[in-house]
Amino acid sequence: MSTKTPAAPARQQSQQREPRLPNPGNKKLFRTVEPYIWIAPSIILMAIFIVTPIVKVFQLSMNKVTRAGKLKGFNNFENFTTVIKDPSFALVLKNTILWTIAVVVLSTLLGFILALILNNEFKGRKVARAIVVFPWATTLVIQASAWKFIVNTDYGTLNTLLMKMGIISAPMNWTSTPAAWFTWEIACGIFVTIPFVCFCVLSGLQSIDNSYYEAATVDGAGYFQKLFKITLPLVKSSLTVSTVLNIIYVFNSFPIIWTMTKGDPANHTDTLVTYLYKLAFYNGKQGEASAVSVIGFIILLICASIYMIYTLRKGDEDL
Amino acid sequence: MKKILAALLATAMTLSLAACGGGGTSTPAASTPAGSNPSASTPAASGDKVAISVIAAEYGKQTKDWWSNFQTEFNGSHDNIDLNVEVVSWNDIYTVVNTRISNNAAPDILNIDVFADYQADDLLRPIQECVSDETYAKFYDAFLEQSNIDGTIWAIPDLASARAMYYNKDILDAAGVDTVPTTWAELKAACEKIKAYDANIYPWGVDMTTDEGQACFAYYSWTNGGDFLGADGSWALNSAENVEAVEYIVGLVKDGLTNSDPATQTRYDLQELFAAGKLAMMIGPNQISSYVASSDNPINFGIASIPANEGKSTSSVGVMDRFMVFENDDTDDKIDAIKEFFNFFYEDTRYSDWVIMEDFLPATKTGGEIMAAANPDAASWIEIVGSAKFYPTAQAKWADVKQGVIDVEQQALLGGNVKELLDALQAKIAG
Repeated sequence: MSTKTPAAPARQQSQQREPRLPNPGNKKLFRTVEPYIWIAPSIILMAIFIVTPIVKVFQLSMNKVTRAGKLKGFNNFENFTTVIKDPSFALVLKNTILWTIAVVVLSTLLGFILALILNNEFKGRKVARAIVVFPWATTLVIQASAWKFIVNTDYGTLNTLLMKMGIISAPMNWTSTPAAWFTWEIACGIFVTIPFVCFCVLSGLQSIDNSYYEAATVDGAGYFQKLFKITLPLVKSSLTVSTVLNIIYVFNSFPIIWTMTKGDPANHTDTLVTYLYKLAFYNGKQGEASAVSVIGFIILLICASIYMIYTLRKGDEDL
Repeated sequence: MKKILAALLATAMTLSLAACGGGGTSTPAASTPAGSNPSASTPAASGDKVAISVIAAEYGKQTKDWWSNFQTEFNGSHDNIDLNVEVVSWNDIYTVVNTRISNNAAPDILNIDVFADYQADDLLRPIQECVSDETYAKFYDAFLEQSNIDGTIWAIPDLASARAMYYNKDILDAAGVDTVPTTWAELKAACEKIKAYDANIYPWGVDMTTDEGQACFAYYSWTNGGDFLGADGSWALNSAENVEAVEYIVGLVKDGLTNSDPATQTRYDLQELFAAGKLAMMIGPNQISSYVASSDNPINFGIASIPANEGKSTSSVGVMDRFMVFENDDTDDKIDAIKEFFNFFYEDTRYSDWVIMEDFLPATKTGGEIMAAANPDAASWIEIVGSAKFYPTAQAKWADVKQGVIDVEQQALLGGNVKELLDALQAKIAG
């Protein structure tokens, strides 16, 4: 390993580069092309890993696909009509909307409150912030397995804890209905999403100049007036980013539901993503699964566009 | 301008995140599977050698090593053949195989559970063309019949497993259950006694999950004289026997005589409860014996036939995996090489090693004889598997039926009418 040649002074570097581009025309051409060279690796990677799968999904969704994965030609959007006509699709769509709204709204609210608390000066603040990161730093499958273990009727820690505290005398079945399972899944979703919101908001809060609050205090503003008139407007851009990203992440979230219930019983805890996974890999219907994927993509595109247009327009009016 | 910018941003973001989330799951990954043998790569004929590529399912921790040794031994003793075995985990194998097929790079030999989907796409060779008469004669006829479509056998079994009832002797004795239940009525009475003895013990284990709910359907349908198919070979999902069978098992769940959540508790969860002495009886495969024996405090358990309804005969559920050969414009030399591969694999001692190592049951008569002689416990299982019934996997609609009966069971658990649900499923499948 060579330890010499640290960073050379800028002038020296430009002098070294100079002889390679003696012609001013070439230099101008290089300047024009240079940015594209820099972004080319990203564009190529995106084309391979993002655009290609998406094109493939659209292609599969519009073709008849055999169970062995052979494409048998355009089938007049039959995959879409079959999926939409299936009674379980309406249930799954309802679950997906409920899951996304519940997790995004509640985690945003709780994450915001937590960020306000962590923004205060108190002893052990750094430790508290580190603790908040833990759920974020653990993989979702592990988180979901832990939650499944906690609420387990037979050897779950929740029952053990409540029995040791004398609150219950015999183990309780915390997941006796599909609604109960779905509630626990939402709770797990909120728990793992809070850190992301919290840190987005916290970064916004730290950029607010304290003089605003001092001026408001002098003018006799109360806590909530300061919160709604100063804090909220100034962290709005951070909240926008976290909310849009969360809508997409949560809508597409697979591991929590798959680990805890696999969408059972009878699709009552399925969301679009777990449903399409079952269609593709349990039922061998890749065409229909791709159609569900495309429908999910369109829903997300509409939601994200509306939200971003709305918030940016509000931003214009505010200016 | 800002609106356009916003819309563009939203599209870009959704595109990228949708690809990371949902999109990726429905698209077959073109990359090499994580579970594949690192030494395995696309085979190429070297010199005059005939290359054979095999994709094999990863059954357990030792599968990769076993195949690696097999490959070395085989290539060492066959100068004219270049065998390449790629071991792929069960999670990835369907995606890997489908991706290869869609890229016109199907393996020569595939070891997996299903075959009808590949046959429906005209991708397979009739298996008798690829197996020597000597090896072909080793299989149980009933097993070969499971891969029969329109009079042609398309696959040969590599191994099998069978199901029987496991019971905790100590719990049954303590609860006053004198004889092991053989009928549905006796089973229910035994469950009630166990529940009365200790409410914290689940009397009967039921798995109606997406993983294996179809097995649950088979256990009760087949022991009630029902079946997936009628005598004429057409689907008979809503037969009176099947309705009665589903109603019986859902009734046991609703009476609180089973594990608490059959729709989410898999066989593995039940296996753990059984080994921990929290579940008195369950139906499971032969591997449970070694699982229980390897636990810290092995329970005192027994194995019996699956209880049947009054006047009906019991039946075990057999499960088997297969080898199939893909049609890849093969030369005669290649077919001979494939035959040689099967001769080598099914050589009696080697094959017995393979089955014992994977803790399954043999699919060949000679393998069964060797195993039964070596292990008396295995003998009874070999007898069970020899008379077991199998899922109708040769039917093209089997995947829909499998998912359909699981859905019926789960809907019935939520209060649905079994007859109406099975009628609807029958109409969907047969229509």
